[in-house]
Amino acid sequence: MRRHHPNISRIVIHAALFALLAVWMIPEVYMLSIGLRTPDQAFDATLMAWPLTLDNFATVIRDNAIVSFFLNSLIVTLATVAIVVACSTLFAFACAVLHLRWSLVLYATLLTTLMVPLASLVLPLAILLKTFGWVNTYAGVIFPYAALGAPFAVVVLKAFMEDSPKELFEAARVDGCNAWQTYWHVALPLIRPALVFVGIWQFIVTWNEFFLALIILTRNEVKTLTIVPMQYSGLYMANPGALFAVLTLIALPLILLYVVVQRAFVRGLLAGAVKG
Amino acid sequence: MPTLASQGETIRLQPATRRSRRFAGPWTYLFLAPAVLLFVVFIAYPIVWVACQSFFSEDRDHTASFVGLETYWAVLGDPVFWIVVRNMVLWGLITIPVQMLIGGTVAYFIERHTNAWRGFFRTMFFLPVVTSVSVISLVWVQIYAPYYGIGQEYLRHFGIIMASSPIGDPSTAIYALILVNIWQWTGFSMLMYVAGIANLPTEVLDAARVDGARGLRLAWSIIIPMLMPVTKSLLLLGIIGTLQTFPVVQLMTGGGPNHASEVFGTYVFRTSFVLGDTGKGATISVIVLVLALILSLVQIVYLGADLAPSGHKEESR
Repeated sequence: MRRHHPNISRIVIHAALFALLAVWMIPEVYMLSIGLRTPDQAFDATLMAWPLTLDNFATVIRDNAIVSFFLNSLIVTLATVAIVVACSTLFAFACAVLHLRWSLVLYATLLTTLMVPLASLVLPLAILLKTFGWVNTYAGVIFPYAALGAPFAVVVLKAFMEDSPKELFEAARVDGCNAWQTYWHVALPLIRPALVFVGIWQFIVTWNEFFLALIILTRNEVKTLTIVPMQYSGLYMANPGALFAVLTLIALPLILLYVVVQRAFVRGLLAGAVKG
Repeated sequence: MPTLASQGETIRLQPATRRSRRFAGPWTYLFLAPAVLLFVVFIAYPIVWVACQSFFSEDRDHTASFVGLETYWAVLGDPVFWIVVRNMVLWGLITIPVQMLIGGTVAYFIERHTNAWRGFFRTMFFLPVVTSVSVISLVWVQIYAPYYGIGQEYLRHFGIIMASSPIGDPSTAIYALILVNIWQWTGFSMLMYVAGIANLPTEVLDAARVDGARGLRLAWSIIIPMLMPVTKSLLLLGIIGTLQTFPVVQLMTGGGPNHASEVFGTYVFRTSFVLGDTGKGATISVIVLVLALILSLVQIVYLGADLAPSGHKEESR
């Protein structure tokens, strides 16, 4: 699709992109670098300090129950993703394939969620969850997250289903499939790229959610990874090496996950864009 | 199964109508139920509750009395509220265009001028988006710190010497936070533009090239206009994102010093959960909500609704 560019301009563009990337990555590198420092160098105002040591990581892993926070994050996030995927595929299917009466009105209503800032919902949600007895429970964040996340998923999946070949659904009906069978055997496999995209995006958003988690999850047994850095910043005030080792460990799981799934994520985004 | 069978029969009798595409049975409405249930319980009900609550005031003995718009006037008369409004306007006006500009430019060069490194660049520029925001906040506090912060050290090379951390100074705090936000979210704009550029119809670009449009000319007069759907959705997401702002501010300044960097998130949080003033908290929540709805509606009326990740079927054809 592209004519050959003069080599010089290619090199210049690559150099410029690498230079910008180097600047962009300073905070990430800085975080890792402080975590790898000896106590003497911890306060040096340099990007890198040598020699590197893994002592901080060893200390931090030995002294703290990071794994339990990690598991809390994992439970909350996986449950949210599962609920969002289930609810939004069912809803999108009802709108795009079943053409149920009133479904478009409900769709439009659901979409208003996208315009609701969380800041205006935290107070009523906190009080609602209190009456449910869901404060300091996984359910207390899982269901609100799912409710907030489902509309975006519905938008993407509905557009994707509407652009799928109608004949497939028609054929399924003629062959005697009922709505559920059509959903399960025809629609779901058909929208897999969009589903992967929606699932990964919901995973990222949920894993990193801070506001509601801060209010609802106040006991250590249920806290997610995102809200624990604050307590470490107090704990390791005089020991930045240890603090930044913890921060690196907190940030790492999602970064690694993204690097692994980014290809599928971008593919879903591109496919969604073609179709939607 | 007799009902289903008989319904199948009637449908087959009128194959030409739209009904023929439908699957039978009222039970299919159950497909809508889970999402609607979530919406009603966790979105609609809280909104209605908070709207009602904003008209009441709770006394010391926990009896609520109707006060009408009184709390609204109190909030509008609160100088902090207007600092928040100013900060939110600044936040939106700076972050949204800057992110579009940097993200769009980077996306353009990645998509049109790289091959082997494309995946690498796409992933790396997106990393700040997936880095936990609370981690990011603490890293930037360290970067901004006087004496041992790396940011101050770099500024010194340019002859800029600051006595304190930029987040500790009321006149610079909000800008320092905006910078962090831009740094974190530019990768998102980049990826949206990447999707938009990758999906530009090749025929149009080829036709433009035949007509002699190249390089910047091509970008300016063909690519940018064709990416309008992406720009529009980024604008909509940017405005909602601005009103959502909370973690970075809460963790780096807590809205301070002296409310200088207060945003809606911290204002609601402080009023409702730190000061425990539910009535005022509810009122602020309603104001944020109404603002968000108005801004979204204005955009939808003027620019059209488009929330798909990129492109839109009518417009991209």
